[in-house]
Amino acid sequence: MKQFIRKADIILLIVLLALGLAATVVLARTGAGAPADDMVVIKSGGEIFGRYPLNEDVEIEVPAPSGGENAVTIKGGSVTVSSASCKNQVCVKHGSISKSGESIVCLPNRLIVTIEDKSGGEYDSITS
Amino acid sequence: MTASPRSKLGASFIARVALMAALALIFSYVEAIIPYSPGVPGIKLGIANIVTVIALYKFGPKDAAAVSIIRIVIAGLLFNGLFGMLYSLAGAIVSLIGMILLKKTDLFSVVGVSMAAGVLHNLGQLLMASALIADLRIFFYFPVLLFSGIAAGIFVGIVSAYVLRVLH
Repeated sequence: MKQFIRKADIILLIVLLALGLAATVVLARTGAGAPADDMVVIKSGGEIFGRYPLNEDVEIEVPAPSGGENAVTIKGGSVTVSSASCKNQVCVKHGSISKSGESIVCLPNRLIVTIEDKSGGEYDSITS
Repeated sequence: MTASPRSKLGASFIARVALMAALALIFSYVEAIIPYSPGVPGIKLGIANIVTVIALYKFGPKDAAAVSIIRIVIAGLLFNGLFGMLYSLAGAIVSLIGMILLKKTDLFSVVGVSMAAGVLHNLGQLLMASALIADLRIFFYFPVLLFSGIAAGIFVGIVSAYVLRVLH
């Protein structure tokens, strides 16, 4: 019976470990493999008003086609409609959204705020 | 693979492979019912591969390939689902080729060959996953799968080496 562990095994182990460490470092440096940031898509009157990265804090004033106005706030990875010119204030009371696929709607001002994947992939998810 | 009289496959081959595939299937079942979740999909101990490694060393590449493919197809239908089967098949084919080549060099022990197979299995799965999802960002998992492949491969290799020592 051959030896249990041979010299070539150790060399192979070291090569594989080095490869793993190198891959970890490269991925951490470039962030190449990191999940993409989600984008906040704001639609007003049926047309896209703008796209904003979810991870950048910003406040956007969105004029409505009817003359009103909504303020959309992106802060700390979640989105809220912080103020609205409409009567019912449903969008403001909706609270915050943070996951892709979620949305806030303001019907009177025809505003839709949606979070979507940067990649805009055709699948929601794949399970095994 | 039929057992018709004109089949080129010998009866002993069929019986042997069927027996080993059944054993490997039980290992697959045991692994499927153990509730442990390492957090990242794709990490597994792969105790069924002990049978593949032993088949390779005791009976040769043809047996190892047959046992591995039969086991994966049946386990896929029974426990792991279609996607699990596709990932496993990709991993198995890559790791089988790797194992056969490494064994031919005669430089590595059972543990070394099995370790390489563990890594190659995960690499094959990752390639299949990136092809299915059509997104190379999945290679984010590469280092995790590489390290877990090394660990699982060494474990499988040590167990196989002990069993082979007894069988000799």
